[in-house]
Amino acid sequence: MGSAMRSDIYDLNSNRNPGAPDSGVPRRLAAIVAGDIAGYSRLMQLDEEGTHARVRRIERELVEPTIREHHGRLIKTTGDGFIAVFDSPVEAVRCGIVIQQNMIGRNAAQSKAHWIEYRIGINLGDVIIETDDVFGDGVNVAARLEGLADPGEVFISGGIYEQIKHKIVCGYESLGDRKVKNITDPVRVYRVLPDPSAFKRRRTRKQGIVVVTLSLIVLTLAGGVIWYLTMQTRSRLTQLATTSAPASRPAETSGIAKSAATNSPGAKAAPAPLVSEPAAQQQAKASIASPAATATAIAPMTSSPAVPPPLEPEMVSLPGGSFAMGSNEDASERPVHQVTVKRFAIGKYPVSVREWNMCAAAKACAFTASGPDNAPAGNLSWSDAKQFTAWLAETTGKPYRLPTEAEWEYAARGGTKTRYWWGDQLQPDLASCKNCTQVASNEPPSKVGSFKANPFGLYDMGGTVDQWVEDCFHKNYQGAPTDGGAWLEDGCSSHVLRSGSWRNDARYVRPSNRDGYDTHVRYPTHGFRIALTL
Amino acid sequence: MPLTRRTLLQATMLALPGATFDTCTALAKGKPAPKDALLYFVWPQDGAVIKGAFWCRFGLRNMGVTHAGDNFQNSGHHHLLIDVDEPVNPDEPIPQDKAHLHFGAGQTEARIELPTGKHTLQLVLGDADHFPFVPPVVSKKITVRIK
Repeated sequence: MGSAMRSDIYDLNSNRNPGAPDSGVPRRLAAIVAGDIAGYSRLMQLDEEGTHARVRRIERELVEPTIREHHGRLIKTTGDGFIAVFDSPVEAVRCGIVIQQNMIGRNAAQSKAHWIEYRIGINLGDVIIETDDVFGDGVNVAARLEGLADPGEVFISGGIYEQIKHKIVCGYESLGDRKVKNITDPVRVYRVLPDPSAFKRRRTRKQGIVVVTLSLIVLTLAGGVIWYLTMQTRSRLTQLATTSAPASRPAETSGIAKSAATNSPGAKAAPAPLVSEPAAQQQAKASIASPAATATAIAPMTSSPAVPPPLEPEMVSLPGGSFAMGSNEDASERPVHQVTVKRFAIGKYPVSVREWNMCAAAKACAFTASGPDNAPAGNLSWSDAKQFTAWLAETTGKPYRLPTEAEWEYAARGGTKTRYWWGDQLQPDLASCKNCTQVASNEPPSKVGSFKANPFGLYDMGGTVDQWVEDCFHKNYQGAPTDGGAWLEDGCSSHVLRSGSWRNDARYVRPSNRDGYDTHVRYPTHGFRIALTL
Repeated sequence: MPLTRRTLLQATMLALPGATFDTCTALAKGKPAPKDALLYFVWPQDGAVIKGAFWCRFGLRNMGVTHAGDNFQNSGHHHLLIDVDEPVNPDEPIPQDKAHLHFGAGQTEARIELPTGKHTLQLVLGDADHFPFVPPVVSKKITVRIK
């Protein structure tokens, strides 16, 4: 990250002063967030290894991702704290609030003596950013603000306040001008309160401070005793949690296990005007013996020398072509625009649980899917889906990837221009969606390809599971590409879902229907199918 | 998955001496929520008349906001229900569609664009697996009018 950041700064510099000499030290205005853990040495005394592990975990799971999501850059972590810089004061303060709010949740499960609480200070200042450190008065002020903050709170400087006061609805309590060590001018300090109504409560709380201080002393003393007593219960709890976590839907699996035997689900009557690639099927027959058994056999090994070649999902090649993408039914589908896609191949079915879990067994996918082998893999985030395509491309040497949004709609329409691929009217039993079947069911699909294929010979292009595509989500098609490529930008936080799922009604089954969802978040009805560049 | 969740919950309860059982004997699958949890709209207020798109701000007291998938006690993530009439089903994950917006990345505000006319808004807090809490942590259902 460091070197990339550095070159960014130089770029910025040279953009602004074309022809300027490269030798100058790059300075820039940034919102600096300084955080540190209150009472870190006390916590370390209580439980050195435990505290260290918890802090690392918080950094990995909370601090680092939150900074990233708010477009900030983590400059460094110290034993008990971190420093990050942001281009935007608004994002910096939001990041601080998110970290503090998350910590409340994390601490709730702990006894008070074990609470890990951050103090956070945020300042706007001119700084020099180096590979792994940041310098300047601005940083010192942020660090001093952090020192003034109470545990669990965010203090901001007047400079930050001026930038954000009308943009983030929070309470801001002015604490007046404070003299800050080694800084000539006093700094105006504000306390951020998560919501404006907290402002009043804050005032009455002040009188309680003496009581709180006294009880804190008592607590600290009692902390050791409580810790000792709770440790035993806690370790028993963690054991329980870890042992029962991997168990997955035993009842369901056994209930529908019979369907797992068939490999090519659905009717063979599909018109399929196009070539379907049988290579995957042959391989499937060869290595199908007992994928579940192989998977469990491989799983416990740390280095797996004899991983079987992956079961490649069955693909259908599609010719290139031009089509009208979008519709006038929903604002997100407008404007209708002509798009041309090149020839490519797309998965005949959504990726199944069996196919997905090969990747999990190879330790290349972090998530293990549950459900019957032939059910569509669900509860997957966009980043999960990307792990799968990266693994498949790597192990097969073929350019597997996610389809682009345009490719998906082109494939789903199957050459039709109607509301659904089968016509303008909803017909029962043609797709898995809510109230789309004669026998109503709210159960997740047990098998991919249970409904009729579309004119391209593709199953479940609409209904069954939502399907991730490569593109970042945009609220409509204003400015969308027309070359069939993915519509991307750096660091977008949500991606496009297509198809609708068994829990959505018929409107969502339309080939032009689209929605967006947070990139890294899993939801039970979200799966995907893969594409291959030809 | 729901089955696993329940067994885990019960196992946890067993290990906690003095924990009451009536909180988890029901069929509901969500995590328990503290009684004083309060979910509300910081903005807009009930009855507000708004011109165009607006920032909707979510307020939560006595619980924390976290990412979907994070299994921390007393914390969850926001869902905004727009013009939804059906009551929250405690036995199923909060639906995901154009009327049920998810904020699983821990967002506490969102830019909302609605067609002109009257609309209802309601917040529902979801747990790590998008199930409503037990008892459900929901805001008052407010009505806004878009000019």
